[in-house]
Amino acid sequence: MVDGMLGSAVQLLTPEGERVADEDYDISLSNAELKGLYRDMVLVRRLDSEATALQRQGELGLWASSLGQEAAQVGSGRSLLPGDYAFPTYRDHGVTWSRGVPPLEVLAMFRGVSTGGWDPIALRCAIYTIVIGNQALHAVGYGMGAQLDGSSEAVIGYFGDGATDEGDVNEAFVFAADFNAPVVFFCQNNQWAISSPRERKNPAPLYERAAGFGFPGVRVDGNDILAVMAVTRAALERARSGGGPTLVEAYTYRMAAHTTSDDPTRYRHAEELEIWRLRDPIERLKVFLARQGIADRGYFDQIDREAADLAVMIRDGVRSMPEPPAETMFDHVYAEPHEQLERQRRWLVDYESSFTHEVSS
Amino acid sequence: MSEQRSFALPDVGEGLTEAEILRWHVQPGDLVEVNQLIVEIETAKASVELPCPFAGTVGALLVDVGAVVPVGTPIITIEMADAPQQAERQAVLVGYGVKEGTPSGRRRRRVPGTEASEGSPAEDVAVAPSDESSDEPVGPAATRTSGPALAKPPVRRLARELGVDLTLVTPTGQNGDVTRSDVLSASGSDPSIGRPGAARPADVQTRSDERMPVRGVQRAMADAMVQSAFTAPHVTEWVDVDMSRALQVLDRLRALPESADLRVSPMILVAAGLIRAARAHPRINSSWVDGPDGPHVDVHGEVHLGIAADTPRGLLVPCLKGATDLGILELARRVQQLIDTAREGRATPADLTGGTITLTNIGVFGIDGGTPILSPGQTSILAMGRILDRPWVVDGAVVARPVMQLSLSFDHRVIDGALGSRALRSVADFLTDPGLAVLVDGERS
Amino acid sequence: MTTMTMAKALNAGLRRAMERERRVVLFGEDIGRLGGVFRVTDGLQKDFGEHRVIDAPLAESGIVGTSVGMAMRGFRPVVEIQFDGFVYPAFDQIVSQVAKTLRRTDGAVRMPLVIRIPYGGGIGAVEHHSESPEAYFVHTAGLRVLTPSDPQAAYLTIQQAIASDDPVIYLEPKRRYWDKGEVDLDADPFALSPWHARVLRPGDDVTVACYGPMVRTCLEAAEAADCSVEVIDLQSLSPLDIDVVAASVRRTGHLVVVHEASSTAGLGAEVAARVSEECFYSLEAPVLRVTGYDVPYPASRLEEHFLPDLDRVLDGVDRVRAF
Repeated sequence: MVDGMLGSAVQLLTPEGERVADEDYDISLSNAELKGLYRDMVLVRRLDSEATALQRQGELGLWASSLGQEAAQVGSGRSLLPGDYAFPTYRDHGVTWSRGVPPLEVLAMFRGVSTGGWDPIALRCAIYTIVIGNQALHAVGYGMGAQLDGSSEAVIGYFGDGATDEGDVNEAFVFAADFNAPVVFFCQNNQWAISSPRERKNPAPLYERAAGFGFPGVRVDGNDILAVMAVTRAALERARSGGGPTLVEAYTYRMAAHTTSDDPTRYRHAEELEIWRLRDPIERLKVFLARQGIADRGYFDQIDREAADLAVMIRDGVRSMPEPPAETMFDHVYAEPHEQLERQRRWLVDYESSFTHEVSS
Repeated sequence: MSEQRSFALPDVGEGLTEAEILRWHVQPGDLVEVNQLIVEIETAKASVELPCPFAGTVGALLVDVGAVVPVGTPIITIEMADAPQQAERQAVLVGYGVKEGTPSGRRRRRVPGTEASEGSPAEDVAVAPSDESSDEPVGPAATRTSGPALAKPPVRRLARELGVDLTLVTPTGQNGDVTRSDVLSASGSDPSIGRPGAARPADVQTRSDERMPVRGVQRAMADAMVQSAFTAPHVTEWVDVDMSRALQVLDRLRALPESADLRVSPMILVAAGLIRAARAHPRINSSWVDGPDGPHVDVHGEVHLGIAADTPRGLLVPCLKGATDLGILELARRVQQLIDTAREGRATPADLTGGTITLTNIGVFGIDGGTPILSPGQTSILAMGRILDRPWVVDGAVVARPVMQLSLSFDHRVIDGALGSRALRSVADFLTDPGLAVLVDGERS
Repeated sequence: MTTMTMAKALNAGLRRAMERERRVVLFGEDIGRLGGVFRVTDGLQKDFGEHRVIDAPLAESGIVGTSVGMAMRGFRPVVEIQFDGFVYPAFDQIVSQVAKTLRRTDGAVRMPLVIRIPYGGGIGAVEHHSESPEAYFVHTAGLRVLTPSDPQAAYLTIQQAIASDDPVIYLEPKRRYWDKGEVDLDADPFALSPWHARVLRPGDDVTVACYGPMVRTCLEAAEAADCSVEVIDLQSLSPLDIDVVAASVRRTGHLVVVHEASSTAGLGAEVAARVSEECFYSLEAPVLRVTGYDVPYPASRLEEHFLPDLDRVLDGVDRVRAF
């Protein structure tokens, strides 16, 4: 069934690394760009595996793995122009990577030293939204604002297949259509909303929903980074040129648990994982690069070393993140002075400084 | 130079507290890399493999397979080949949850002499003191010329009961507040009054009181009260009584040698009046019963008088059994025993049940009247208010008289307005002129 | 008596309720095959079938809204909201429909829903996973609000909540899910009303009123205190059983209310107001609150500073006595 569903998706690079044509979409990238995409995906995967290990070692409270979704995230993220704006979910580490968010700033929230992590204005990438689907409306509203300003920016709103159940996402579709907002809805259908299997519960293709709301929808092989870029670029260009919203359904698979707190062996079979391992987004690009003579072993080894260095940087960086002083919890609750909160801050500082030492028990 | 590190079991899944060691993938002496999977554990949520946080040689496996250990327990030691350039931070890790306190004592100690409460939000915001003037330097009371006097609520009540004007008392409290002993000194009372262990005004509780093992009874009664309030249609009537003669009678009673050890209070007279009313109007001393064949009313031959008492365990209604024909002194003696028993927490469930009619003294709270709720099943309850000098018209002239209000609630399914009114009037008549009432006993209605 | 975690005790209570009444259905995200993210419904779908333990779409407003319809149809839905911070999409349905339907139909349509919500912090979680939303629900007329503090209470009160003909917001203290306790599985859940506070530890000097996750903390503080502390588990936040608290305060004269939620307009404020109305003249000191600060729940590395702990409870006890 998975294969059958994938059949309707735009594909430019097969799982075996064969370049194929699509009647509606194509893309032309330089060798440097292609190698860059490979590097991005390898480094994002290393970031992800290091973060997973750090959680298992008690250094992070939680981690939501992006394993297997690198092509969908990097491919769409790298399609954005510098002036565009992204609204990611908590799993979109390939998107934040593409927007230039430093990995340690992404990890800060999962370590619990920050409630956000980075400057969304400077990086033109919103902080991770945790409550499912909320950000879809924000993306539409941001796009409406850009439109009112007469700007030609495009906005991309990310969410998963599970989020399409939520009222917020459906309302976002309505608003985007009504206001012809310059927004791309980028839905990564990774098949599993925690334990809820998308297609076993509702086999109607997600991308087809767009038609009912009055804008186009397209399904793309989410593990094919070339197809993802081709489709996303077209949708972004359509948004910038006043064509309105597009729903892109990137058909992919969540290779890891929902988060480090989850246990997928309770609800899905290992054989499903094996099928998708054969469709790995990094392997197919690597095969393509090697077969086309664009990159050689030396290049791949160099990227592996970069990944190892990144892992060390992340490990050391996470473990040496400064502890935020307790009273910083009072910062930025309000933009304007708030005397009640200031009193509580003073109380906390006085109270905590009234202790000298731990009493061994 | 080698250094030994230990790896503590982390919380791998948001709030987990323990895990079982399923199997070790390494043995002492093995070389391990960073992130090499070393052990499989099972938590309440999942089985999980843990990667090693250090590179080096396995020193010891600290926990056996099959053992369940709490999060935070060191499970393995690693001899690190090279000590890090600088001592690595060993902060409490993220995934270990919030430290819980230990029952053995406080984790940390306050620096002597520093008081966190100074300018605390607890005072400024969360628990703002009732009086902002507490920040002012407050000297002896003589210097206070305006604003309310400072005093804690129980001290205010004591002052009111003793008729002491707080604004005229010299405060000696820490914050310039009037203390309990200030009030007692000002009233000329024995300063031991109001102290723990000594007799105190009726419902000022002493901290040293014994616990009453009647919580279950109290709970049951609370439920029953709610039931009573919402099943029996309550009617309440009031009447004011000039207590001049009653107080004179009390004084004479107290002067009797037989009442030397007795607390002969106005309540005893009211109780006597209520018992007389119940004898004259038996239907007010009855119960509504929802039987299997429909409801009926039991009119009781005997008066079992419940007396609501404020006790350390809350409001209790101990019951004076067989009160129908008690003389006034015997009544006083029995009431005193009953209330002492309840206050000391020695009341048994039997002491607290079986009443047929109830008297409650809300005057001790400084209250005049109210709408008391019937004790479950009973059909009448009488509340007596405080006795206060009030303007009273006597022969066309306003004079001050000690006046008390009586409030009688009754179950309108059993007692109609005429009967309820007559019963209340009969209590009022008795208190207005106890002597006359006894003389014409039964001849008036 | 059996030793089990609160999560297991809730599971056992749900099982009993489902055995007792076939129109009890469980409804929520990931509660079937996965058994819920905290495993509270573990094994129930296997034993009762997919028609009684229903995996819902990922839409909280939808879950509660459809439960309203199911209740109208005579079912007794037991909804699981995955985390406290995810109940807000359903807030409209809860406040506008669940709470008011009985009233608007003049008593004709009852809403015997239970909405289970894991709440509170202390587990090192990320944003929106550590909230204490109880005051919103307590403030809403028409809702009952219960929160158990130990496995035995959880086992009994979840059954009582399901048996109630009123909608019950059932708040499960998630940091206590794995705390173990003795549970009498044969105990009659209907022997005692759940809508009462419980005196868990008698004491004479200070009354500490708390609920849910703070109960264990306060019991530990009472143990460590240098005075005699009475610990009251409020358990029923709506209706609030103020009589038990007032009776205690009449003896101790001192009251500290402890909760994780922010102080402003929280349960502590309500308890303080009611106690000052009920027994003002017994108060030797103002009622003190030991609570979270008036800030959004902080990043988890700071939660230790935000959450009242043993030291903060004892500081409150010291201050109320020193007043």
